[in-house]
Amino acid sequence: MSAATSALRMQGISKTFPGVKALSNVSLSVDFGRVHAIVGENGAGKSTLMKVLSGTYLPTTGTTEVGGVEVRMRKPADAQKLGIRMVHQELNLVPDLTVAENVYLGRMPRKWSLVDKAAMLRNAAAVLRELGADIDPAARLGDLSISQQQLVEIAKAYAANPRIIVLDEPTSSLSEHETAALFKILRKMKQSGIAIVYISHRLKEVLEIADDITILRDGSMIETRPASGITAAEMIRLMVGREVTNVFPKTPSTIGAPVLKVSGLGDGFSFENVSFEVRVGEILGLTGLVGAGRTEVAKTIFGLSAVTAGSIEVHGKPVTIRSPSAAMKAGIAYVPEDRKGDGIIPSMTVRENISLAVLRRLTRFGRVSMSADRKLAAKYARDLSIVPPDPERRINLLSGGNQQKAVISKWLSANPSVLILDEPTRGVDVGAKAEIHRIIGELVAAGMAVVMISSELPEVLGVSDRVVVMRDGRASPAIERRHLTEERIMALATGEETA
Amino acid sequence: MTDIALTMRDDLGNPRFNRGNRLVGLLSRNGLLVAILAVLLYGSLASPVFFTTGNMVNVLTSMAIVGIVVVGMTFVLVVGGLADLSVPATIACGAILSLALQPMIGPVPAFILAIALAGACGLVNGLLVGYIGINPIIATLGVGTIVLGIVQAAVGGVIVYGTDPASAALVKSRVLGIPTIALIFLVIAIIGNFVLSRSFWGRWTTATGGNYNAAQASAVPVRAVKAGAFVITALCSGLSGALLGLTLQSARPLVGTGYEFSAITAVVVGGISIMGGFGSVPRAIAGLIFVQLLTNIMVLQGVRTPVQGFVLGLLIAGAVALDVALRKRGAV
Repeated sequence: MSAATSALRMQGISKTFPGVKALSNVSLSVDFGRVHAIVGENGAGKSTLMKVLSGTYLPTTGTTEVGGVEVRMRKPADAQKLGIRMVHQELNLVPDLTVAENVYLGRMPRKWSLVDKAAMLRNAAAVLRELGADIDPAARLGDLSISQQQLVEIAKAYAANPRIIVLDEPTSSLSEHETAALFKILRKMKQSGIAIVYISHRLKEVLEIADDITILRDGSMIETRPASGITAAEMIRLMVGREVTNVFPKTPSTIGAPVLKVSGLGDGFSFENVSFEVRVGEILGLTGLVGAGRTEVAKTIFGLSAVTAGSIEVHGKPVTIRSPSAAMKAGIAYVPEDRKGDGIIPSMTVRENISLAVLRRLTRFGRVSMSADRKLAAKYARDLSIVPPDPERRINLLSGGNQQKAVISKWLSANPSVLILDEPTRGVDVGAKAEIHRIIGELVAAGMAVVMISSELPEVLGVSDRVVVMRDGRASPAIERRHLTEERIMALATGEETA
Repeated sequence: MTDIALTMRDDLGNPRFNRGNRLVGLLSRNGLLVAILAVLLYGSLASPVFFTTGNMVNVLTSMAIVGIVVVGMTFVLVVGGLADLSVPATIACGAILSLALQPMIGPVPAFILAIALAGACGLVNGLLVGYIGINPIIATLGVGTIVLGIVQAAVGGVIVYGTDPASAALVKSRVLGIPTIALIFLVIAIIGNFVLSRSFWGRWTTATGGNYNAAQASAVPVRAVKAGAFVITALCSGLSGALLGLTLQSARPLVGTGYEFSAITAVVVGGISIMGGFGSVPRAIAGLIFVQLLTNIMVLQGVRTPVQGFVLGLLIAGAVALDVALRKRGAV
């Protein structure tokens, strides 16, 4: 296609912050009606590039053309006027407003200078229908599931009749099923001529949806290729600069006696009659669609929400867990799904985060022993190779993968006998992901029992010894991994097969 | 797999953030010290009275009374409890009871009982905020109003006078020229600093303010920690009120009016975020020293009261604005 029909042409974009070059001579060209994926490890410059594209940052050098016209975007509103819409990883929606109000936030249809609610509902319903999303426009947004909210966010961008839509990790909170639905929507948008910029860590999805793929590394553009001419392995090699042979290494370990056994567990709300056990040296995968109740099961076992039915046994002894500290005493640890929301204390250092759960153990006469505290942090920074290896750094200055390692360290220092990991590799880059898998492997090899919740099927199949699939708050029996395929898990998760 | 770890970069660890942070951090840490020195310098040049012993003793005494409240209020802000507006009531509780109970049970038990009852008010605040989840502003305002009403009714709405000259003399005494009250403040500040910066309770307080959900998921007893901050503040205000009552040898129900504002101003000017999760007692005291010296100079220079209020209001708004701006930069 000629330059005139390009939706977006960025040329020679560099962005320098005091002391560092975040982007160096990056060029990107996206045509109307194409999906252009941008992949790269955390810190490769994807988000900086997107912030340039959305008008948040003014590039140090380089030019941007939108629809063949050179533009200079100084603030997000400039980009919006040019028809560029962002769909952020963190949802930018108002939970207390209705779906329709969220879709038309800031530009509601008016009648006699008042909001025309009827027209707004009508239009929102039309947009949602067009996108094939089964959501009531009059529903309160906060009552929707996270994946439905994600669709509303996309509908919001779509309703503005954009020329370019930028999606940042849109599938990170979606199950495979919902991802497929999202891709249907993206294909529709594509057909209507919208240019789509798609950022994701999930290479398989990138290969599925993208027409072109640009790989960034260290703030530089490595390559742009048509999706048909590249494999996931090649992408990984270009992203990390080397070949990663085994994405899911499985460390062999000896499986022993049951450690955690839950029977008939229910919270009277989101799940019921859930039973499973996990044994010494075993990784039990817990999967299912988002909203199937996996996280709720974990939170209940950990004492963050109340048990209404069933029992929990640790090492054969029944335990009553009403709080996280009771769970900790029983030998249960939980690394939450929402790292920013439930995992880290952003204002504290890595050291303070690591020792938080076991602070009492480091205390003498009310005073926290600094030497014990430092020793603990140094041990885990080394064992889990937290980068940078400086425990005195504020944790929110670390990358997602390293924050996750710190959260895992926090719980390892409590010496649990069973560790529940909820989406431990969500939003972390390829290298950190492999490392977290290696750490999990080492833990079970040392005799820990691990429950790993994950939506990513290759991960579930690659890492688990046995898998429990949840659907609508009910759990399947645990299935040996050799009896499982991605297709079978999907069938169980969607109810096409009942175990 | 380990060699991947070695090649892994982490964009947030790079110098762009460090450098910006250090600069802003340096400014936010030392800016206040510079301001204090500037005020001291201006004061000594502009007013012959400023550096006299009499004036300094005055400043220290009034600083001590507010300062004890500031130590408690720091916990409330750090734990993410916004502010404790029941301070005037708990100060009145301390001041009135420590005097009114003297004839009945003697000065020392009266002093202790006054502080304990103020602490009980804090416990009510803490239960409402920490366990029931009522907004702290509303809860403390409500509890404060109720407590003030009870205290007023108990003493019949009149001024209470002291009856024990010995305790009055003790409180007004000086050790090596330093007012005893200032020394009591120093001890409270040291204890407060130890608890907040060195003890597990302080670490829990900071964690709860920094991210309530994450602290809860880390087995921190978040409800108790939040409630505790209000108990600590009430005990501090009770002590402050009792000392105030003994100093004045008289107390009326409105004796504590304005102390909540002074204490919040000091903490916020000290650079402690109203959003919680961050802060220390020394920082709050630096804020207190600055505000107190500034007020003192304004008084000495004959600045009219409305203008003083204007300046202090501007200061608190400016400090909060700066905090928000720094937070946006992710620098605090």
